[in-house]
Amino acid sequence: MTAHRRQMKLGAFLWATGHHIAAWRHPQAHVKAGVDIDHYIRLARTAEAAKFDMLFCEDAAGVREADVNIASQTSRSIGFEPISLLAALAVQTSHIGLVSTASTSHNEPYGLARTFLSLDHLSGGRAGWNLVTSASHIEAANFGATGLRPHADRYERAREFAEIVTGLWHGKLDGASGSGHDGQCFSVRDPLDLPRSPQGAPVMVQAGASDVGRDLAARTADVVFTAAQTFEEAKAFYGDLKGRLAAYGRGPDDIKIMPGVAPVVAETESEAREKYEELQELIPDDVGVALLSSYLSISDLSRYPIDGPLPELPASEGMQSRQALVIEQSRRDNLSIRQLARHFAGARGHWRIVGTPAQIADELEARFEGGAADGFNVMPSYFPGELDAFAALVVPELQRRGLFRTEYEGRTSREHLGLKRPA
Amino acid sequence: MHLAVSLAQGEAPSGVQADAGLDFSLLARFVQKAEAAGLDMVLLADSAPVAGGDAWSRQVPFEATTLLAALATVTSRIGLVAAASTVAHQPYNLARRFASLDIISHGRAGWNATMVPDPREAANFSRPEGFSRDDFRRRAEEFIGIVQGLWRGWDADALLFDKSGGRFFDPEKMHLLDHKGEFFSVRGPLNVARSPQDTPVLVMSGLSEHDMEIAARFADVILLDEPLDAKADDLKRRALGFGRSPGEIKVLMNVAPGAETAAGPDVIADRLEEPFRSKSCDGFNILMPPVLSVLDDFVGLVLPELRRRGLLRSDYPGATLRSHLGLAGEEEQ
Repeated sequence: MTAHRRQMKLGAFLWATGHHIAAWRHPQAHVKAGVDIDHYIRLARTAEAAKFDMLFCEDAAGVREADVNIASQTSRSIGFEPISLLAALAVQTSHIGLVSTASTSHNEPYGLARTFLSLDHLSGGRAGWNLVTSASHIEAANFGATGLRPHADRYERAREFAEIVTGLWHGKLDGASGSGHDGQCFSVRDPLDLPRSPQGAPVMVQAGASDVGRDLAARTADVVFTAAQTFEEAKAFYGDLKGRLAAYGRGPDDIKIMPGVAPVVAETESEAREKYEELQELIPDDVGVALLSSYLSISDLSRYPIDGPLPELPASEGMQSRQALVIEQSRRDNLSIRQLARHFAGARGHWRIVGTPAQIADELEARFEGGAADGFNVMPSYFPGELDAFAALVVPELQRRGLFRTEYEGRTSREHLGLKRPA
Repeated sequence: MHLAVSLAQGEAPSGVQADAGLDFSLLARFVQKAEAAGLDMVLLADSAPVAGGDAWSRQVPFEATTLLAALATVTSRIGLVAAASTVAHQPYNLARRFASLDIISHGRAGWNATMVPDPREAANFSRPEGFSRDDFRRRAEEFIGIVQGLWRGWDADALLFDKSGGRFFDPEKMHLLDHKGEFFSVRGPLNVARSPQDTPVLVMSGLSEHDMEIAARFADVILLDEPLDAKADDLKRRALGFGRSPGEIKVLMNVAPGAETAAGPDVIADRLEEPFRSKSCDGFNILMPPVLSVLDDFVGLVLPELRRRGLLRSDYPGATLRSHLGLAGEEEQ
């Protein structure tokens, strides 16, 4: 092992019973994950023992599927609220980072800054916030209100939100004046009533891949999660985002880019394939098609023949980057709706690798060394089995190659990630 | 008699250093000691924004709901109630947070909704013009109703976990809230499962005369500053008007025994026994700084005296906060 070899960063992306849509039906998946805190404590300790940089929790302020019949065939309508989950995990772990998604669309910056800083203190400097904006109508319907300020464009709101939160964390609310913030979307008067973060400020994470999302990331993010199917896509995104940093006075190492990867690993390739096929078989067609419809932001994909091609689609206000990715893949590989549904239902548009520990390490290494990633956000298909498998099989292989740490560099998230401590 | 202990900040008796400060482990030891003593619950204050540089240094530097989650994993019986403001949160987010805390704590969570608006708070939540007292009250009433409604969005037996049949939950047992009101519109349902204790416990405090109606309608526990027989009677009578039985509301009186510890356990026990026997209250909320020695004195001296007089149970009757308070359904009691 080379002493000074650059090493990859790894996140353990926790999500309900697993990232595969049918994970909860797998015989070895823990079906009660969404109501069992001890299960999460065990997962957190597994990831920490494997020296993962962080746990990562997704979030939505609402159920994920409008059609209750579809929803009832998945496990995703219930789960833990991620900040309370991570606060519980904070005192049951000692090193691993704790990152949660929270939307700028349905929170207020003062409250969110305060809650994440509290999590940061509880964990001794291991908290991170994954900033997202929300385009979901299901979520919006839970936040109807009157008497609020005009709702600016969601990215303008996000930009102002991020500016306030980081200002509060850094003890300078409004640039030089320090006298509060009175902006288009928000007003805030006081500094936070909590001491400064043990790591300077909680880690800022972003996942937006659109042009405006990339600019926001270049300006504010410490870590960027992204979805990329191919090496070329991943490399193009990586180069583009790193290239935007200079405009904000930042260097390429100031942001760690960690694409999602959905591995299925086993000792032999045939076992891994078998495991993957077993999961794919558990996807009900109507669930797969509904999920595909939601990625494409259209409501009625089920009226097209399931074994026919994807129809021509109108432009949408929804998740544009994901939509483009799905359409591109359907044309490139000439996939039917059923094939496409199964393909995306499995990994939700993220990069899927199925194979042996060496094969998976090869793939990760190629993207890491090829200028397409600083690390990966690992999305196990089902819990706890696939996280256990990655920790037991892939992590040691990466460590043997000198590509991943064998001990934490320090105690805080910023120390693990090699990020500067904010002044 | 029900007993709660409330972490009152900055109120350490003179000569006693408030020692919890930044240290979670000291707070954890404090709550574990309260649990060992069999207290019903600990109330966690949420520090309010205070102008000035060092204000935080004498407060517990944790937001109350995150602190509750952390404490839930290092205790197993005692109830944990966090204060959270109706101005600082959206009802959907808050309902979700507490529902999640309740599952994390296995049914020991409660929400303390105070009816006293913090004058600085609105200014930090994009409402520099603040709320009128009347707007605040009507908004809080709507807010609390939404939160409780969301907590009831899933029937207790809604989750099927049926792997082979492919049904995770029964669609008939998930209910939309579809609330459209003066201040909020919230569709629901909550994306957190039903509470192990049916719903988290709702504690209301800081009530004015005008708030009694709201409290009688929504609260499980009411904290009052004074031992007024008439007030407790009035609350329970109003509860009947909302189709609730008087026993569904527990009235606790706030007391700060600090200086009286020196007076001896008898004096304190007398002071607690009198209003309890006269049915002015169902128990007490002891305000004390998060200082182990202060808790030690109360637990070591006063509790044995209350138990000797037959006023206090000696162990937890069940697993959830509702069961400690005598608010659980029959199967749990």
